Amino acid sequence: MVTPDLVSEEDIAKLIIPDDLPDEPTFKAYIEAKVYDKEGHLIQHHTQPMRSLTQYFLALISIPILGTWSGVSSSSAQGILVNVLGLPSNSGAYASITWNWSIQLGSGTQAFSPTLTSLAAPIANGTGGGELLYQGLSVTYAGTSIFVTLTVANYTSASITVSEIGLQGTIYIYWYQSNSSSYSFLLSYDTFSTPVTVPANGMAVFQITLSFTG
Amino acid sequence: MLGEGIRDISIDVPRDAYDTGKEVPTFSAYLIAVVRDSEGKIIKVHRQRSRSPTANFIGLLLPIIYFSNTNNSYSIVNTGNSSNSYQPALSQYAGNISYPNTSSGSPTYLVMIQVGSGQQSNPYSAYSLAAPIANGSGSGQLVYSQPSLPTNIIASGNSAYFVVSQTLNNQSGGTVTITEVGIIVNVQLSKPYFQQSSSFGQVLVWYDVLSSSISVANGGSVTIYYTFTVNP
Repeated sequence: MVTPDLVSEEDIAKLIIPDDLPDEPTFKAYIEAKVYDKEGHLIQHHTQPMRSLTQYFLALISIPILGTWSGVSSSSAQGILVNVLGLPSNSGAYASITWNWSIQLGSGTQAFSPTLTSLAAPIANGTGGGELLYQGLSVTYAGTSIFVTLTVANYTSASITVSEIGLQGTIYIYWYQSNSSSYSFLLSYDTFSTPVTVPANGMAVFQITLSFTG
Repeated sequence: MLGEGIRDISIDVPRDAYDTGKEVPTFSAYLIAVVRDSEGKIIKVHRQRSRSPTANFIGLLLPIIYFSNTNNSYSIVNTGNSSNSYQPALSQYAGNISYPNTSSGSPTYLVMIQVGSGQQSNPYSAYSLAAPIANGSGSGQLVYSQPSLPTNIIASGNSAYFVVSQTLNNQSGGTVTITEVGIIVNVQLSKPYFQQSSSFGQVLVWYDVLSSSISVANGGSVTIYYTFTVNP
């Protein structure tokens, strides 16, 4: 295919955005919720595709793709880490970076934006009114799929409805002879097509599947 | 009150959540190659979906909780087929990915978008290109310029993306044909408390076989663009 001369990376990117390629996508993501009553019986099983990754997810995957340094002879961080995540450009002393993930549930809804930073109405971790006890989080993988699973329990006397879910990431930077700094981001945001209701003294398991296999 | 069913939760992708083909995927990656002749005129634009993160990419992306819950390490295999044990932790004593500083000189950085003349059928387990094209002006070689890193993520509406690119010039005296492309990152770990660094070497994190080969004529060039986008 012969194409008129192109002048910038943005022009190149426009060739493929919006997507017009016919073959299968690279990435699929899913959200699953299983709800159990106080006797342990499965009472609701909800699944839906995940649709709403944020720019912070892109920024996170830029670390294994681009590295953390802007070049072999530079001591500055690559631009996305500084300009999108707000990380320091240079730490001075020996430093390292790592990150963790968690799932946040909420009871609100809001329009999606790739720059969203939080859920509309996060459900707090606890046993008070309107709260869920976040009991356990696990991350496993199989091939190019990563599974993030959260178990919550409702120790209150009333049902709690979950209408939104987000994958959160926290980046930690450690320095020589100093403590760490942490930076938290919302990596994905989705509202449930059907709200998930956790009954009093019931529990629920939420799972986010990130599959990089096309 | 907790049910036995919790132990049985399936980690398989639920069948009723599979794409119907009518919905747009939330993340996509694309590989674009712009080929120019010896006069700089664009003579071909190759576009395809990029679909192949390697096992190294998955290992480097996993969060701390995977390592702390399982006490497992992950084997990162460099382009020389040497395995390196990766087990990051929330500690300045742990070997985590190095972060830019003026003390250690142990950068984790993008080495190059490498091209090759071979192909392999299982990109996930690939640790190097099948037949990398060397950097140089000898027969069958290409001159690699420095990769161009994005300085920001470009957001528009619900979409956002970044692009990384690299240009390779053909000064070999003959046509060079490309059939595979990969992203190579130099990975170094740092233990800040001990002021120690260790190197994994060059690591293949992304790999694609071209859907059709690309020929770069003598005096011409090819620029490879990788675009990573959410909500395209």
